[in-house]
Amino acid sequence: MPRTVGRIGRQLAVVPIAALGSYLLIAALPLGAEEDSKRQLPPELVASYRRDLGIGEPLGFLKPWQKLFRGERLGTSAQGVTGEELLRKISGSVGVGCVAMVLALTWALAFAALRSQRRGSGAWAMGKLIPAIAFGTPVFIPALLLAPYVAEAGHWLPELAAALVISASPGIFLGALLTDAVRAELSRDYVRTALGKGLAPGAVFRRHVVPNVLPALLDSIGPVATALLAGSFAAERVFGLPYFGQLYVVAVLQKQVAIVVVATTCFAALLAAVGLCVELVRLLVDPRARAAGQP
Amino acid sequence: MTATRDRLRRSAWAGLGLLLGLWAFSFATSAVWPAALGRCPFGYDVLRPDSTVCELAIGGLWVSLSIGIAAGALATLFGLLVAMGARAAGGVLEEGSLRLADAFFALPDVLILMVLQLAAQTLADVHPELKIAPAPLMVASLAAVGWSGPARMFRNRLATLETQDFIAASKALGAGRPFLLRRHLWPAMRGYLLAILVARIPAAILAESTVSFFGIAKVEPMSLGRYLGTSYASLLYPSGARIVVPAWILLVLVVLGAALSAQGAEPERN
Repeated sequence: MPRTVGRIGRQLAVVPIAALGSYLLIAALPLGAEEDSKRQLPPELVASYRRDLGIGEPLGFLKPWQKLFRGERLGTSAQGVTGEELLRKISGSVGVGCVAMVLALTWALAFAALRSQRRGSGAWAMGKLIPAIAFGTPVFIPALLLAPYVAEAGHWLPELAAALVISASPGIFLGALLTDAVRAELSRDYVRTALGKGLAPGAVFRRHVVPNVLPALLDSIGPVATALLAGSFAAERVFGLPYFGQLYVVAVLQKQVAIVVVATTCFAALLAAVGLCVELVRLLVDPRARAAGQP
Repeated sequence: MTATRDRLRRSAWAGLGLLLGLWAFSFATSAVWPAALGRCPFGYDVLRPDSTVCELAIGGLWVSLSIGIAAGALATLFGLLVAMGARAAGGVLEEGSLRLADAFFALPDVLILMVLQLAAQTLADVHPELKIAPAPLMVASLAAVGWSGPARMFRNRLATLETQDFIAASKALGAGRPFLLRRHLWPAMRGYLLAILVARIPAAILAESTVSFFGIAKVEPMSLGRYLGTSYASLLYPSGARIVVPAWILLVLVVLGAALSAQGAEPERN
C-alpha cells in the first residue's frame, strides 16, 4: 500500500505544480505595471489580467477559481468562459478522448496481431516503417485531410473523426509495447514449464501471460492519455469542435492569460484523474500491487 | 551477437545519413540552388502561386530540422546537467528534482510550449526591447520543455552505473568523483547520450510543427509546421490535399532516420 500511496501522491503532485507554475509564470509578466509600453496590449486584456488573476493579493492564485465558482466570467467578456461552460468543454474533450482510447486499444490489438505474424521484410515494415509513419504524423495532418469531408457534417461525425485521428499514433505505440511485452513473457521459464506440464498454449497465454503483460500496459496508459489530450488540441481546432482543446488554443492566441492558467491546471487535474484510475485498476488486476502493501 | 551489433551500427549510420542528407538537400535546394525545385509533381501552392509545393515543403524542412537538432541538443545537455547535479547532491534535492521532472514529463510538450510562447510574446508586447526572434525563442522553449525525459533517463542510467563492480573497485582504489566521471561514467554514457539526443529531434520537430500550425509561433524562414498552418485554407480548393502530402512524407522520413540512429546507438551504451 505505501508504494501505491506514493504513486498516487506523485500523480497528484502534478496538479499544484502545474497550477502554481503557470500562475507564477504569468503573474511575473509586467502587465500590471503602469507603463506606457503596456498600451501595445488591448486595454480590456490588461484590465482582465488585473481583475482575474488577483496579482499582488494574498492567495491571489485562488482568484480565478473563486470567480469560476461564483459563476462569473473569466477573461475578456467576448471570449471569456464561465465555470459551467468550462465544465461543458472539458466533458466534450473527455468524451472524444474516451472514444479515442477505445479506438487506440483496437489499433493496438490489430497492430500487435499483425506484427507478431510478420517475418523478414514484413517484420521490418511492422517494426520500423509503420511506427515511423504513425509517430511522424502530427495529428493535424490526417485531420486536415479529413476536415473537408466531415467538418460541416454534424451528427457527431467531426467528434468521431477527431477521435480517429488522435488515436492512431497512441494505438501503434500501445501495439508495439504489447508485442514486445508478450514476446518477453513468452520467452520466460514459467511459460515453458506450463507448456511442458501439458497446459494448452491458449490456456497458458490466458492464465499466465496476459496477467503479466497487463501491468506493462497499465504503465503506458498515462503517456497515452497525455498524447490523446495533446492531440485533441489540433483535432478540435481543425474540425472546429468547441471543446477544451479549442478553448486552450484560442485563449493562447488571444492572450487570455487567466483562462490559460485555469485550463493548464484543469489539464493537469485530468491527467492526475487518469493516473488515479490506472492505480485503482492496477490494484484490481495486479496481485503484486496488492501484495506490496501487505506485511 | 557481433552480427546484431554490426547490423545496428549500420542502421545507426543509415539513420544519421538520412537525417543529415535531408538537411543538406533541403538547405541546398532552398538557399543555394532554388531553381532545382521549380518543377514539382505536386504543382504550385494555391495560396502562394509563385512557389511550388516542393519548394515550400522542402524549404521548410531545414528550418524545422535545425530547430529540432538545436533544441534536442540543448534539452539533452540540460537533462544531463540536472541528472548529474541530482546524483551529486543526493537525498532530498535528488528526490525533489525527480518529482519536478515527473511533473514536467506528465504534461504534454505542446501545452507547456504554448504557455512559454504566450509568456514570451506577451513580455515582448510590453517590453519590445526584450523581444527574442521566433526561431531562438522556439529553440529555448523546446529545450525548456524537453529536458525532463532525458534528465530522468540519465539519472537512472547514472544510478545503475554507480552500482557496478568496476565503479566500486575504482572507488576502493581511491578514485574521486571527477575521475570516475571522466574515466568510467562518461564513456559508458556516450552512446546513450547520442541515442537520447537523436530521439529528441523528432519530438521537438513535431511539437514545433504543431505550435506553428496553430499560428502561435511565427518562425522565419518558414518551418514545415508554419507552412502547413498557413496553407490550411488551400484544403478548401479541389485537390488541396496535395499541399499536405510532401510535408507529411518529409516528417515521416525524419522520424524514420531518428528511430534508426537512436536504435543503432543502443549497443554503444553497453
